[in-house]
Amino acid sequence: MKNNSKFLFGMLVFAAVLGSLPFLIKSEYFFFAAYSVLQFVILATAWNILGGYAGYVNFGSAAFFAIGAYATVAGFKLQLPQGVNILLGTFIAGLVGLGMGYLTLRLKGVFFSIATLALSVVLLTIVINTPFLGGARGVYVIVPRESPIGVGQYIHWLYFLILGMAILSVIVARYIQHSSLGQGLMAIRDDELAAEGLGVPTLRLKLYATTISGAMMGLAGTTFPYLITYMEPTAAFNLSFAVNSIAMPIVGGLGSWLGPLIGALLLGSIQQVASVTLSSTWNLLIVGGMLVFFVTLAPNGIMGIFKKKN
Amino acid sequence: MFVSNMRRRLLVAAVTMMASFGIATVSVAQNKPPLKIGFGMGLTGGMAANGKAALVSMEIWREEINKKGGLLGRQVEFVYYDDQSNPSLVPGIYTKLLDVDKVDLIISGYGTNLIAPAMPIAMQRNLLFMTLFGTNVNAKFNYPGYFQMMPNGKEPAVGLAGGFFDAAMTAKKKPTTVAIVGGDNEFAAMTIEGARVVAKKYNLKVVYDKTYPPNTTDYTPILRAVQATNPDIVFFASYPNETPGVIRAAREIGLKTEVFGGTMIGLGFAAVKKQLGPLLNGVVGYELYAAEKTVNFPGIDAFLKIYQSRAEKEGVDPLGYYLPPYAYAEMEILGNAITTVGSLDQKKLIDYIRATTHKTVVGDVKFASNGEWEVGRPMYVQYRGVKGNEIDQFRKAGPSAIISPKELKSGELITPYQEASK
Repeated sequence: MKNNSKFLFGMLVFAAVLGSLPFLIKSEYFFFAAYSVLQFVILATAWNILGGYAGYVNFGSAAFFAIGAYATVAGFKLQLPQGVNILLGTFIAGLVGLGMGYLTLRLKGVFFSIATLALSVVLLTIVINTPFLGGARGVYVIVPRESPIGVGQYIHWLYFLILGMAILSVIVARYIQHSSLGQGLMAIRDDELAAEGLGVPTLRLKLYATTISGAMMGLAGTTFPYLITYMEPTAAFNLSFAVNSIAMPIVGGLGSWLGPLIGALLLGSIQQVASVTLSSTWNLLIVGGMLVFFVTLAPNGIMGIFKKKN
Repeated sequence: MFVSNMRRRLLVAAVTMMASFGIATVSVAQNKPPLKIGFGMGLTGGMAANGKAALVSMEIWREEINKKGGLLGRQVEFVYYDDQSNPSLVPGIYTKLLDVDKVDLIISGYGTNLIAPAMPIAMQRNLLFMTLFGTNVNAKFNYPGYFQMMPNGKEPAVGLAGGFFDAAMTAKKKPTTVAIVGGDNEFAAMTIEGARVVAKKYNLKVVYDKTYPPNTTDYTPILRAVQATNPDIVFFASYPNETPGVIRAAREIGLKTEVFGGTMIGLGFAAVKKQLGPLLNGVVGYELYAAEKTVNFPGIDAFLKIYQSRAEKEGVDPLGYYLPPYAYAEMEILGNAITTVGSLDQKKLIDYIRATTHKTVVGDVKFASNGEWEVGRPMYVQYRGVKGNEIDQFRKAGPSAIISPKELKSGELITPYQEASK
């Protein structure tokens, strides 16, 4: 209980500090960069629910992200309100997560990972051949320059949205970690057969995990079209979403809600800074280098280093 | 004596003051802040090969203009970021360029997918936006500040495919049927749409009309299916990573048709020419420049000489026949506009660029109301007599005979494809 209040207080401070930034910082670019980092907080947190808690490596993050993004494109074309588009994208991505779970969760290890990778290919082909979604050519999602709440630019509004979503994702991830669902998923990760023998409803828990994880990844994509204003398949299905959503929890530390948050904030910020100050080659090199470092020398990520010290 | 001394002192003082004023003026001119032109460019990722080549061309222009004293008395500086060929990075890059780097002008990176995400930013701020090889990006907006450098004409889709069909219809045996094939990408989709329109214009029966997924590597089954319909013309719309595979597959199955080719992007690149060598023979391909005597844009030889002398060192396309002259020409237009208008007033620059016929290294350029070239000039060549894989043979007239448009024609179409490919 005490821990809960500490966490909620921490989140409140986090929200207050980050939420006040649009009133203090003038540069619009800062918010583009901050948006990207917070977007990765959601993706990394979502990936960790299945990958970190249950040990099932999902390579299909970009597919779920794209579901969210393209649901928004569809909603935008049908002139639905932004809130509806966000809910729609999250719901569809969750539903696909559930479906993917049913089809693939009987597969284990690398076979499951390959199946998730195939999901991206299938969805990409569907999008490319669907003119309503812009097909291969892409589609514009033009937004006004001003924020709909009357304060600041539209990017400020998107920043508030993604900040809220990121905080919500972290709260959900933490709740799961400490709930019976989280405990069950961790039992599956440690020894699935033993967990099943002890009466853990493994398939049901894994289905919960794929659904929640998918929905959260979709949530991250729902505001993306409003950010880039031109959606086309290579942007939505970009490999960087899949790579980063795995790399960030690994760097931060798998299996706890804090690890992906730390990893996303750290790696995301470094990438943003490196891509505009050094070069994207350096940017990729830094990510690769950090991954090699953590996988070989600190497999439990930053969280693991601190835990060891303690 | 005293008066004379006074006069002398006054004179010296006046001269000193004038001189110091002059020096001050010069030093002010030298201390003028640089004129910053900002852009994102694909220096890594799928667009990197062309992005780097475009950047080298633009740097050549920048060095030349700075040697002449810059623009408006200010040295020209480029502020650019690698967009990693990733459209999602583009809005952030352009916002940074405008808000943090405070650039005076923006231009686009290379390619439709990297131009489109920057359009809303240029439009929201009413900026001049010169772009490099976008395909129909402005179709829906008709934004008056948009100008595009690919020479496909007012209706890019129809213009681009039209050049191929104009040439194909000169085949000895009059074509009556056509197969239209392309990849699942935005460029092919647009070109195929144009091809259908032109096929209708020429009363050609479309006997095959299909696309293939972007990750296709084996084109043999596709070409066998095409061959089964026995078309007189085979029109392919392919990307650089697909084009060599398509041509190899056509040779492998011994494609029997009158004319084979299309908007096969990549044939203009030295690397693809080198890779395919004699396999190119007989193919009718889309090029933007060929070393034929009929192509004599003033200044292009001088530009290519400088470009080619730097290409190897910079690790970019050694011939520079595709994008580089157009990237340089884009900067020529921008530079001339700034000099003539005498300011960086975006509206005045837009009005000037729209109203003027620009003299560039790729010939005269006049923009239509939608920002495309008023009169298109898609160039189609038929490769013939290509021996070995050396690219030096393409530096001389002969291996890339221009068969369309009429005004640049340097050879006649040889048919059928089997005959031409020998």
